[in-house]
Amino acid sequence: MEIPSFPIAIMMVVATADSRIKRTYALAEAKRASTLLKGERKETIMKIANNFKWKLEPAQPRPNLLNYDFALDFKDYIRNAAIIQHKKWKLVNRMLSKGEVFLTKVEVCRLLEEEVRRYIEQKLQVKVKSLSPDIMNRINRLKQLFYEKRGKTSWEEIPSEVIIIAYPPCIKRLHETISSGHHLSHIGRFTLTTFLVNIGMTTENVVDLFRSLADFKERMTRYQVEHIAGLKGSRTKYIPPQCDTLRTHGVCPGMDDICRRIRHPLAYYRRKLRIIKTEAPLAPGA
Amino acid sequence: MIKIDTKAFIQAKFSEYYEKNSLNIHPPSSMEKREFGFLLLKERIMLRHKAFKTAQEFRDSFKTLIPSHVYFSSAYYERPEEEMEEKGWLGADLVFDIDADHISAPCSKTHDTWSCPHCKTTGRGTPPKKCPKCNKQKFEEKTWPCEICLESAKEETIKLIDILTNDLGFSTNEMSLSFSGHRGYHLHVESKDILTLNSTSRKEIVDYIVGIGLDPQLHGLSKIGGPNLDDFGWRGRIARGTYEYLLSATPEQLEKIGLPRGVIQSLGKHKERILESWKYKGPWTMIKGVSFESWSKIAEQALKNQAAKIDTVVTTDVHRLIRLADTLHGKTGLKKTETSIATIEEFDPLKSAVAFPHGTASVDVSEAPKFRVGSEFHGPYRNEKVELPMAAALFLLCKGSARITEVGSSVR
Repeated sequence: MEIPSFPIAIMMVVATADSRIKRTYALAEAKRASTLLKGERKETIMKIANNFKWKLEPAQPRPNLLNYDFALDFKDYIRNAAIIQHKKWKLVNRMLSKGEVFLTKVEVCRLLEEEVRRYIEQKLQVKVKSLSPDIMNRINRLKQLFYEKRGKTSWEEIPSEVIIIAYPPCIKRLHETISSGHHLSHIGRFTLTTFLVNIGMTTENVVDLFRSLADFKERMTRYQVEHIAGLKGSRTKYIPPQCDTLRTHGVCPGMDDICRRIRHPLAYYRRKLRIIKTEAPLAPGA
Repeated sequence: MIKIDTKAFIQAKFSEYYEKNSLNIHPPSSMEKREFGFLLLKERIMLRHKAFKTAQEFRDSFKTLIPSHVYFSSAYYERPEEEMEEKGWLGADLVFDIDADHISAPCSKTHDTWSCPHCKTTGRGTPPKKCPKCNKQKFEEKTWPCEICLESAKEETIKLIDILTNDLGFSTNEMSLSFSGHRGYHLHVESKDILTLNSTSRKEIVDYIVGIGLDPQLHGLSKIGGPNLDDFGWRGRIARGTYEYLLSATPEQLEKIGLPRGVIQSLGKHKERILESWKYKGPWTMIKGVSFESWSKIAEQALKNQAAKIDTVVTTDVHRLIRLADTLHGKTGLKKTETSIATIEEFDPLKSAVAFPHGTASVDVSEAPKFRVGSEFHGPYRNEKVELPMAAALFLLCKGSARITEVGSSVR
């Protein structure tokens, strides 16, 4: 019964046409697959990995490399590990030799989970033609159930005024640098602009910030800020890069306590706002 | 004497170079899928989204456009001549840029200059926050390629090649290495396995090379031991870095990284024992009074010298334009020059990149530090008229440090 149930499940999830349901389903299936894999023999895991075109081999025992079961091509490794957040998954913290990353069986199963998740998400990209009303009713009931359990996504409201004291350290530094008319790298400017646009600063005020720069050109700056805000060009509103990316490019000046608990500058801002609110509930204007 | 315009002269020389050498400029692989960009010498505008179908068309473009800089995309596109969103990205090579600007060699104070366009104040090294005379914050900077800068860029390149081959397993056949024609090196990896890596995956490669997010504890540093010199990957690098660091660090430097006095004394007292210990399991647990925390600080510092200082933005950008080999660098008149990885140690960039080996020219130099182009040293100069070999003269003209006054006899 297991096998035919999978295409039916896929069809039903596709019919919900809800990206959050799709993601949740893909993740759940991937987690289940990974748990099952952990109980499998190494040969079976190899077969499955090779099915996904991974270059996975049994680790040859070497004096400096004990306790590893597999050696995986580093390209296959980063494709799947780059989005796992814990620092032990960063390539730089792995044992690497001649393009191969050394891994335990449990670690390979965790990486396969990412591959499976992407595989299912991709399967969910298709569109279904209309299904019978009977089936659609069932799907809608399931959808309802999902919303009741998970609630609708709601970002905590970001207040319309800009609260400078809630800026993360990186934005604080970028803001200070630019206010004093100093040069900012391209990625620095992009980070600052996307951040300010996303916390509700007006285009006008963002443009003004850049005014003190030596190479300021009003028309150019306005165009770029409006582009980033999604008012021009591709109409996509850009968001700032993740903390991890800012670290790579030297924009992160070092973490404070809140930084350690978030992965994105905007998440810092939201969290800090909550803290400010609880610490000073009777702030003027509140 | 006929008065010659400097800009027109540079343009004539660039044109002459492309007339003579266009056959030696090779199109990159899969040329028809790449985007090309030209900065035009005369009009000073960037011509982007160019694409070529044939090598002939490609070579003719240099002669007609006379560019001061020529670039090609590390990316492959379905329609390279379209606007960015319409191009249809197919993949990109893995590229690395090592530039003296990112290394801050100690010599920059002796040859780099800044000037305030407002009040004409000038100074050496990196510009101050504000002009000491008029308080303005805009400066024109002039950086120079010098032996020391280029030597440190070369050292970083050698570290990069070591990581790419020994750790990441690339073969030197997949790499091409060039002197950029100004202050650094470009390393280009062409391999079908890396083509479709996205920016996030490339960032992991960058973090690996630069050592960002590296935790020595995940490389075996613990209260009961640490990495060995002959370990693989970063593990071995931490050990070798620690070995080198402890050999060279002064007590003041050790204090600066936050080691307590007692620890510094112990390290000094047991220098011989530490050296000896590397033959076995390293010094990690055997020096009394040096705690795990202290070893962590030392390792943290030691790994900085083992990382290769690449430009992080270039490698993570999957749409990057890269200078094309054997074309001229508009800031120097030198050409981007390929060199073999096997002979990088002996490679002399300032000699190999000379694009104008014949003739002389007289120039009026406003200011120039001592510099080398080809095998000869020239300068320093200040407000003087000198006759120089063509490559050296053109170098100063492109740098904006001199005006042309007369062209030597061997040049038509």
